[in-house]
Amino acid sequence: MTSLDIALESSFATRPRGLGFVALRRFARRPLAVAALVTVLSLFVAGALAGVLAPGGWSEINLAVVHRAPTFAGGHVFGTDWVGRDMVVRTLYGIRTTEIVALSAAVIATIAGVLAGGIAGYYGGWLDAFVMRVSDLLTALPVVVIVLAALVYFGEAYPHLLVLIFSGCMWAGVARVIRTDVARLRVQEFVEAGRALGATDLRILRRHILPNVGGTIAVAATALVGQIVLIDATVEFFGYGLPESVAPSLGNLVADVVKFKFGLTTDPAVAGLGWWTWVFPGLVLVLILVCLNVVGDSLDEALNPSSQLG
Amino acid sequence: MAAFLARRLLLAVGVLVAVTFISFCFVATKFSAICTSAYTPQTRYPPLAGSVRDAAILYWHWLKSVPQGHVGDPCGTTTLQPFWESVGHTAMLIALTAVIVVAFSLLLGTLAAVNAGSALDVVLRVFSYAAWAIPSFLLALILQAIVEWATVHHGFRLFPISGWPGTCPVSVFYTTPACGHPTGIHYVGSLFTHTLVPALALSLAFVGLHSRYLRSALLVALHAPFTTTAYAKGLSRRRTVLRHALRNSLATFTSAFLLDMGAIFGAAMAVDWVFRLGGFGMLFIIQINGVGGGDGPAYLDAYAIENLLAFAALFVLGAAFVSELAVGWLDPRARVR
Repeated sequence: MTSLDIALESSFATRPRGLGFVALRRFARRPLAVAALVTVLSLFVAGALAGVLAPGGWSEINLAVVHRAPTFAGGHVFGTDWVGRDMVVRTLYGIRTTEIVALSAAVIATIAGVLAGGIAGYYGGWLDAFVMRVSDLLTALPVVVIVLAALVYFGEAYPHLLVLIFSGCMWAGVARVIRTDVARLRVQEFVEAGRALGATDLRILRRHILPNVGGTIAVAATALVGQIVLIDATVEFFGYGLPESVAPSLGNLVADVVKFKFGLTTDPAVAGLGWWTWVFPGLVLVLILVCLNVVGDSLDEALNPSSQLG
Repeated sequence: MAAFLARRLLLAVGVLVAVTFISFCFVATKFSAICTSAYTPQTRYPPLAGSVRDAAILYWHWLKSVPQGHVGDPCGTTTLQPFWESVGHTAMLIALTAVIVVAFSLLLGTLAAVNAGSALDVVLRVFSYAAWAIPSFLLALILQAIVEWATVHHGFRLFPISGWPGTCPVSVFYTTPACGHPTGIHYVGSLFTHTLVPALALSLAFVGLHSRYLRSALLVALHAPFTTTAYAKGLSRRRTVLRHALRNSLATFTSAFLLDMGAIFGAAMAVDWVFRLGGFGMLFIIQINGVGGGDGPAYLDAYAIENLLAFAALFVLGAAFVSELAVGWLDPRARVR
């Protein structure tokens, strides 16, 4: 090899980069996706810090400022409700409740789905049939119906029961997606090579298959958070989620509007709420869902570039 | 293909029986079978079945009565009539929604894919993200407020605020301004005006979602070798897109849409509740509202709840089966021989 060859080789040499890194760079090049990720993370961090940002708590009543429209004077930017509770504070605590339920349920459902789908896809046979039939049972009813029925069965709702119900019925969707990917990967040459070299099933699953389904897991988990936020809000809209007396959530704050007819009426019997008491939590709910959808979609496109041709 | 479909049908029936059995065991061992007319909040009724064994026997009686149309209900028409009515109302709402979603998703998805990267694509992308993120119940409330505002302040009475043609909703907050009992062609017209706004509220999110799915599938088809061949043969752009690329993308779109029927059904419950359409959502909430809570068994018609759960499962499983039929019909490669 001449010195010219060596110089040429070194000038063309690139650092090996994994699929994840390439996808991440592709994701970072999308300003809309980055903005959505930053927004949703900021909202979730603000929600998580609700106790620090508003140490008085969500139920602090101030009868001096009852039913006040949004104003910068006095610090009630989102206004106050019929007993003078600040809507910024209630919305922050609402985000906190919603994120606790959605993130915990999504994490548990994703882990359960990855385990079940991974085992079903890798081993096949009766294990596969069993996992798929259980997931058939769980996906045979609309999630809203399952959650409503479960809440009626248990009688009352509290955050960790909601987390259990959501994760218990939503892991099946993740398992199906992961199972398809793992079943496709297990017959690939690199898995065969690993097996021929004497690698155990656990090692093959952990070191070879799991990194290759990382993208699918990320997309499924993001989509799951959005779905849970939406279904949770719908269930609370029916009045069956967390009662407002336990904790405000974005769903039950918006649901108040039904009881008070939007706060737009002049009829004193139903004009108890102002429009601001449901518009701001509603906007935050929609903003979180928009951002999660954009992040999920962009993640999918970054990991599967064929879907963004053109 | 026939053997494959027969196997899938058998599997769907098996899943339906298993889901209804499991749900029946839960419902029967927890709740009573008290007719709505006999509902007495002060009394605690014992559950319908004392054990899973009892529940299994009652389930068998319930299952046997299904082909005769009795669906095991001791209350007769008091719960069965609302059941069939609610199924009809929800079917009408979902059918109109399906038409709107398919039509607009095809239009917007095709426009976005054909103009990929253009300003129109960006506008459609923003629209679909926004539409997809607005919960159906929230949009339903907003549209209802707009209709109410137009009715009350401007005398615009084309779309009723709530209710179903021929039924006058009794509600604390909403009243229908004109509550007649139309017949014949007037009934059809009234049906359309009563369901159009709820269907729009229900469809918007799914138009946003499925137009994105179609765009992705169509982009793949537009970059496939067969599309290049079609152009090379001198076919016009319109013919290539509509006859070759779009037809190839329809299988993915149809499958995704039909598999999403569970989500559409769930959202339809909320829209039904807002507009007081007397559909599945309203009946389900009315039925589960019978729960007393506390430590004793609650008073709730177990059969009425079971009928509703069984119908929801039948709907979702039926949609999944139709999806397999449709994909096999649209895409010959998907046909299993």
